[in-house]
Amino acid sequence: MNKALRNPLIYIVFILPAFVLFLAFFIYPIFTAVNNSLTSWNGISKHMTYIGLDNYVTAFKDVAFWKSVRNNLYFILFSCLIQVPLIVIFSLLIANVKKLKGLYKTAVFMPSIMSTAVIGILWGFIYNPDFGLMNELLGIFGIEPIYWLSDKNWAMIAILITNAWQWTGFYIIMVLAAILSIPKELDEAAAIDGATGFQRAMKITLPLIMPIVSVVIMLSVAGAMKAADIILVMTKGGPAGSTDVMATYMIRYAITSFRHGFGNSIAILIFIFTMIITVLYQVLIARRSERIEY
Amino acid sequence: MRALKKFIPHIFLMGYLLIILYPFLFVLFSSVKTDNQSIAANPFGLPSSIMFDNYVNAWVNAKISTYFFNSLYIGILSACVSILFAAMLAFAVTRMRYNKISAIVFQLILIGMLIPNNSLLLPIYGIMRNLDILNTHMALILPYVANAIPFSVIILAAFMRSLPGEIEEAAVIDGLSSAGLFARIIIPLTIPAVVTVFIVNFLGNWNEFLLANYFLSSNELKTLPVGMVGFRDAYNTNYAQMSAGIVFSVVPVLVIYAILQEKIIEGVTAGSVKG
Repeated sequence: MNKALRNPLIYIVFILPAFVLFLAFFIYPIFTAVNNSLTSWNGISKHMTYIGLDNYVTAFKDVAFWKSVRNNLYFILFSCLIQVPLIVIFSLLIANVKKLKGLYKTAVFMPSIMSTAVIGILWGFIYNPDFGLMNELLGIFGIEPIYWLSDKNWAMIAILITNAWQWTGFYIIMVLAAILSIPKELDEAAAIDGATGFQRAMKITLPLIMPIVSVVIMLSVAGAMKAADIILVMTKGGPAGSTDVMATYMIRYAITSFRHGFGNSIAILIFIFTMIITVLYQVLIARRSERIEY
Repeated sequence: MRALKKFIPHIFLMGYLLIILYPFLFVLFSSVKTDNQSIAANPFGLPSSIMFDNYVNAWVNAKISTYFFNSLYIGILSACVSILFAAMLAFAVTRMRYNKISAIVFQLILIGMLIPNNSLLLPIYGIMRNLDILNTHMALILPYVANAIPFSVIILAAFMRSLPGEIEEAAVIDGLSSAGLFARIIIPLTIPAVVTVFIVNFLGNWNEFLLANYFLSSNELKTLPVGMVGFRDAYNTNYAQMSAGIVFSVVPVLVIYAILQEKIIEGVTAGSVKG
């Protein structure tokens, strides 16, 4: 028995391929990123000059860097303040309808499985000032055409709308699954006591789904820090840096203008900022929402 | 009155459905129109005459077919390899008797879920250059396989843990080695989880943009999302043709989704890999 399941050679052979790849593509890159972030390396030459924390100082002094941080914050705020309430409302609505539930469930999730790049192209067409759907719709209400992606007051909003279009349904499905797993008896008992549908949603369902809502907030914050492809495809960070996020800022410097060392310092900052937000959120909010047992 | 009350949620939900679905219809309608003028003239509806030339042009001239098959084979190959490696590791960690080492290995792999992928883009670019495989498909396959490992291990390990321990006893008494146990007993029993993980990995690879965009430069090697962006940049004056390209890249995913809807939702939400 133990002999078959305690064979060190087989154990190593089974663990090795995945483990080596994991070390090579997750752990080792973190260390090289830290190392390169302390250099003025251009990414090509064999020679590396260590310059200490200069790259970080440069980043902190750069107005464009803080602009990109601010845009990451917009992503976070937009998802917490606008998307999350919508997610909860739509999940409650879908959970409580009897007809067409399957249709709603299938359709809302659809955008989340598609390529962000293709969604970026699709929405770029929708935002097209001359033939796009958005301005045609505005035209019906007599509103002047908006240059969505080339006007720096609108470009960020246009991207946030597209991002919300892609991901809202994904979270609705998560919240919906939580709502549907609440035992029916709770709701029925309240209904017998004379609670209206709205009261039941506010007093029973909502408190019970708070843990999953908390997970949704955490995931959308993590998603906000990851956002890059949608911006690269739709605006490339423009106009005039108005849609840059940390990741696109990093790519611009590291790959397009060969400041590899500097780019790596931004990578480390993305890593640190994400960790800080995650830990803060866990300590301040997630711990307070207790786990609920039925 | 009661009937009306029942109807109100549907009004909101139908509104949401319209917002989700109309962009697809808009692109579908635009893809069979002759040119930009006919799109501008009637943006909301079907054109007076339906034209399929855009599809032929996109598929043949713009090489959408090449991109399509590149994406297909890279996506399938990477997903299969990462599942094989992840399943082997998950088996060793959950079923073989090395509890202390296994706990450490598993915890380490879990950390992988926390690391923001963006911050690894540059160092991985460096690794690919040192290996001298930039601008080959290997430059995508290797990181795709590696990236999928944490999620795959977590799901497969959870599933393997739930299998009863008597299975091993019976199998070992019948003379199977641990490798035989893995290949002939555990893997067949784990198929439902393997299918879910495969779809999630495949969709992730099929949709990936950042690595594909920066690691490959020759046109023949590009994947569909990157090819589509290049196609848009080259033809951005012809929205009808671009729409046909979008339809080509969206339809396969929608077909897979239509068939495997439940499994996809289950797998993607279990991993919660993106947002």
